[in-house]
This record gives sequence, C-alpha cells and structure tokens, in this order.
Amino acid sequence: MSETGLYCYAITRGLDPAALEGSAGIAGAPLRLVEHGGLEAVVSEVDLAEFGEEGLRRNLEDLGWLESVATTHDAVARLASEQVPTAPLRLATVFLGADSVRARLGEWHDAASRALDRIEGRGEWSVKAYVDVDAQETPAAEQEPAEEMGAGRAYLLKRRAATQRREASAQAGAELAEEIHAALAGGTVLSRRLAPQDRRLTGHTGEMVLNGTYLVDASGVAAFKDLVARLASEHPRVRLEVGGPWPPYTFASLDPQ
Amino acid sequence: MTEQGGPLVTSGSRQQYQLSSDRPQPANLADILERVLDKGIVIAGDIKVNLLDIELLTIKIRLLVASVDKAKEMGIDWWENDPMLSSRSRDQELEEENRDLKARLRELESGRE
Repeated sequence: MSETGLYCYAITRGLDPAALEGSAGIAGAPLRLVEHGGLEAVVSEVDLAEFGEEGLRRNLEDLGWLESVATTHDAVARLASEQVPTAPLRLATVFLGADSVRARLGEWHDAASRALDRIEGRGEWSVKAYVDVDAQETPAAEQEPAEEMGAGRAYLLKRRAATQRREASAQAGAELAEEIHAALAGGTVLSRRLAPQDRRLTGHTGEMVLNGTYLVDASGVAAFKDLVARLASEHPRVRLEVGGPWPPYTFASLDPQ
Repeated sequence: MTEQGGPLVTSGSRQQYQLSSDRPQPANLADILERVLDKGIVIAGDIKVNLLDIELLTIKIRLLVASVDKAKEMGIDWWENDPMLSSRSRDQELEEENRDLKARLRELESGRE
C-alpha cells in the first residue's frame, strides 16, 4: 500500500458523523470527520501517488480525472451543506495526517466561523440569462437597398446593417443582464456576477448574458423563484435558468465581503 | 411561462423558464469546475499544488468556459484542436519539441566556441 493523505472537502459546524454513513468520497473511500474547536473537516483518504505534488501536477491536466474528482468534491460538499452550515474548500486540498488538519482548523477557526455565520440558513442560487442573438428585432435603420444602387454598394450597406444589428443586440443583452441582476440582487443577502460560460462546454444555445449567483435565505427561496419567473415573463426575449441550492462556494469565503 | 423539467441529475434542481428547444441540460461540468476551482475557500494543505500549474489550468478552462471569443480576438488559438483539454499528448509533443530545440541550441552554441 502506498502512502495516503487526507483529502479535505469542506469545513462544517455541527455535522453528525452518522450523516456520512453510506456515502463515499474520492475513489470510493469512506468519508470521516476531523474535529477541532467546534468545527469539523470532512475528509477521506487518498493515495499520495495520485494526490501528491507529482500526481496532482500530472492529473490536474487530465480532464477526465478532473471531472471525476470535481464531481465527487461537489457531491460531498452538497451532502454536508444539506445538513449543516458548510464552507466548501477549493479542489485538491490535501493533508498528510489528521494532526495537520486539526492545526489548520485551529489556525482558520475565527475566519471559518465568520464564513459559516454568513451562510447559515442560506443557500447559493445561480441564475443564468440567455438571449438568442438572431431573434433580436431588426432595427428600423435597416432598409431595403434602393434599386438604382450598385450591387457592391448594396452589399456593403447590408453588411454594415448586420454589424450594427449585432452591436445593438449585444448592447441590449448587456443592459438586460444588468437590469435582471440588479432586480435579483435587491432581494438577496449577497450577490455576484460570474463570467459567462462558453457554450462549447455547456452546450447551451443562444448567448449567455448573465451568470449570476445569489445568497438567498431559506425562507426567501419561493419569493426568489417567483421573482425569476416574473422577470422571465417581463422579458420574453430572454431565457432564464435558475439552479440551486449550491453549496455556498462563492459566499463562504474566508475574506471579509 | 413554462417550467421545463424537474430536478436534473446531480446538481440540485434546475428550472428553465420559457419554453425553448433546448434539451434539458444536466448539471454541467462547467458549473462545477467554475465553483470548485475558483470559488471554494483556500486553505493551504500539506501538499503544495504548484500555483503556476493551477493558474495555467485555470487559464485553459477559462478559455473554454469564459472567453473563447476574446481569446480568438487576441489570436490565442492553440487549444483549437484540443477542445476537451486532453492536452497530454500535445504537451508531450511540445516537450519533445522543446528538448529538440534545446539540443540544437546546445549544438550551435558549442560550435561557436
């Protein structure tokens, strides 16, 4: 058996070890808790041949490996966050033993406690807005070229109109995104805009103009979804997609927000 | 308004408003990666991941997740033939090329002395 380390998924407060029974971490290893000062680290053993410095450098470049580790990481963080306040860690935080984990829990105790206070009883929800660029209204500026116009000139005019139309729709998309984000942020505890995603990874159609994330009180989720639905009906050309609750990846940060 | 689909796959519920011709999207890898690579809290572990490697990886993912068009505008397109980031074969090629070039450089330099 090669050397093992402890992969740390999340910091929790008040997680019952029984909640982890029947669930597994990376490579099917059992999940367990390392406790210190009223906080717990959710960990599982990993092979250091795979998760040591050498191994990580190699494996992080392998999208298949990355996908498997990332989805497991997310599933464990999700499991914990459904039970108790949970601060998910960034991918691939590995310790050599439980003593190291406890030392780090002690070091970060106050900052982690503040982060957990911030997200307790709240969930992270994402709202994405898509516009179908081709479905934008044709501006009145585009006119049929007059008959006496030469073919070359008509072609150039047509191209210019198409460019203007694209620019107008991009501008309209940006304004729409800002408006929707502001409306959603108004009713939530914290909010942030993430970079729009590329459709080659997501497979979405249309253009993603908003990739927003929002910290929502558990009691406010229904109202938040209603608001999304209302915004969708007010803006028939935009498609809204709401996802969540996520483990609070964005809002359980250790730095003050 | 039409709600499409119910809870989908692993990443909690996801609802789409307004009917569209899209297939229902499963919780996608881009969603998970953008959070676990970029948003979770950072606590230094005992295993140090080379920050440069992580940065490069993040840049690669970003090129795909965030700003392909921008990268194209800037003339960065080395990933074009490599959309799924299975970059090892390409890395190996580059490493070999790098080795060859270094060897040639050594030859040239020793020839000059």
